[in-house]
Amino acid sequence: MDRIIAIIQGIVFSRRTHIILLVILVLMPLLHFGRESCKDEGQLAAMIPEASCSYLIDEKPVTNATLLTFTQMFILIILASNWNLTGGFTGYIDFGHAVFFGIGAFATANLMGASRWEEWPALLSDWSFWPAMAAGGLVAALFALMIGSATLRLKGPYFSIAMLGTLVAVREIVRVSKNFSGGGLGLNLPIYLNRPMFYYLSLTIMVLIIGFISWLRKTEFGASLVAIREDEVGAEMRGINTTLHKIAAFGTAAFITGSVGGMWAYQNTFIDADIAFQQTRTIDMVMMSMLGGLGTVAGPVLGSTVMFWLRDVVWSNFLLYHQIFEGILLIIIVLFVPEGIMGMFDRENSGTSLNQIIKGWFPKSSPDEEDSQ
Amino acid sequence: MTAPLEKGKENNMEPLLAGIGVTKNFGGLTALNKLDFAIYPGEIVGLIGPNGSGKTTLFDCLTRVQGLDSGRVIFKGVDVTKKKPYQVAHMGLARTFQVFRVYRKLSVFENMLLSRQWRGETLLRQLKPSHPDTEERANELLEFLTLDHLTHELAGNLSGGQQRLLEIGMALMPEPDLVLLDEAASGVNPVLIETITDRIRQLSEKEGTTFLLIEHNMGFIGDLCSRVFVLNFGQKLAEGTSEEVMQNEDVIEAYFGS
Repeated sequence: MDRIIAIIQGIVFSRRTHIILLVILVLMPLLHFGRESCKDEGQLAAMIPEASCSYLIDEKPVTNATLLTFTQMFILIILASNWNLTGGFTGYIDFGHAVFFGIGAFATANLMGASRWEEWPALLSDWSFWPAMAAGGLVAALFALMIGSATLRLKGPYFSIAMLGTLVAVREIVRVSKNFSGGGLGLNLPIYLNRPMFYYLSLTIMVLIIGFISWLRKTEFGASLVAIREDEVGAEMRGINTTLHKIAAFGTAAFITGSVGGMWAYQNTFIDADIAFQQTRTIDMVMMSMLGGLGTVAGPVLGSTVMFWLRDVVWSNFLLYHQIFEGILLIIIVLFVPEGIMGMFDRENSGTSLNQIIKGWFPKSSPDEEDSQ
Repeated sequence: MTAPLEKGKENNMEPLLAGIGVTKNFGGLTALNKLDFAIYPGEIVGLIGPNGSGKTTLFDCLTRVQGLDSGRVIFKGVDVTKKKPYQVAHMGLARTFQVFRVYRKLSVFENMLLSRQWRGETLLRQLKPSHPDTEERANELLEFLTLDHLTHELAGNLSGGQQRLLEIGMALMPEPDLVLLDEAASGVNPVLIETITDRIRQLSEKEGTTFLLIEHNMGFIGDLCSRVFVLNFGQKLAEGTSEEVMQNEDVIEAYFGS
């Protein structure tokens, strides 16, 4: 068994595998252009039936559906990796991280001219996608700084509940502010159906984010986040300004989540309060990080990939039971693989389990309760 | 005023750390009761007392982990009563803990690096590689504490005694002016206690570092400390050299047992 794990470990964590995987992912969409495609691909007009249109008859080896599936997987990997920055490294389990996703999505949509409000300022309308996406991230980060400077002062479970409350509250506020969100009608973004573009965009962001986080973990800042998770009181007494560190990590994660929200909104072409602020999106981030291994760089990437395809199989084969499956999976993770896939491969990493994080919330106060070595 | 302040007047020195009427209650229990004390630069002071006499609570109050109910703490002439723990640490106060507070999932070396002096640094500085001097100091301290073969081990995998040593290393890392050692010698082997004693004496003589230590090992106290406080029920029971204290009848009754 150990031998098998060692072999798998050698394959999964070698740089060569990563490069091969990346090359495959980069080249894959080229097959998309292999056969005749719609002349005006990327336009809504292309959706209107012409017998040869590739949207209706898939003749290509790689279809739009495939590209969309992969795009969604990349987005999940980015989201889980970001969640892991506060949830895994810093040990602040955030049950409302999707709020930044939704805020980014709505900000981007409004800036791109989707607003239904006649008095929406012209200056903040009809932006092109790139600045709008960045602005979506910035708005989310600003919101994170505001909300984080209050909630991050709360300890453990109180923080989790406060963020869950934030998500629900913001969703309802956005829903009723019709000028901003279009109310029940939602917002329609300019339609742009270039799947390969979104594929490459999300792939690029994913690679950058994984690189960024693995670099961040190696800096003193990254290590101090882990220190805060391991012992916040100790870290504070050894001179680490824990509140500042937590807010910085939270803001960074929110910025990236917000930008990804903006990208997702553009790709989806329609958003409303319910789909932008979905609670399940947070749960995805939490579960995928836990499955892969909280507090490790590779954990959320592995977890998201495995869970995404598992879910795909379950959905396509046992449609009515897929929700039971996720519950059972969660129980299995907590009971049997608390440190996730990374914990099975390599115990000498900075990863942790939900169990240990929760233990850290209620610190030992007297030497009698010390773990025996 | 109280005795220690008078002593300071003799030496013409400002106290490095002084507490004035330090009081701390937990519910109805008074852990510290109007405690006055002063510690002067370069001293090595022992703090003894029966279990539950408020020694660790006093440390917690000094490092601002716990707020005071009344009274003031003055460090280097600045009132730190309202400061945050990390600000007090930046001023040059370091401590070890009775319950281990090493970062279990970080390597021993990372533990040491993160305990360095953070004073006046921006967040951006922390994104750059560690300063070579910091790394050198960490290596030097680890070697002294006989932990150098464990540099890249996770701190959580160390034995209790080794974690104790690591804590001492982490406390010395920021080149502090005042070190509070909370039962630093318990669980450490006798040879190493000798080494630590030497190191403390050496630091105190060469660099003028001040030490305040909680200890139950009277040999260790007698070896090192120029002055000893005895706490009982949150109040100062006695004060003096270790011989004086050991012969004090109140102390014998409360602490050593008759």
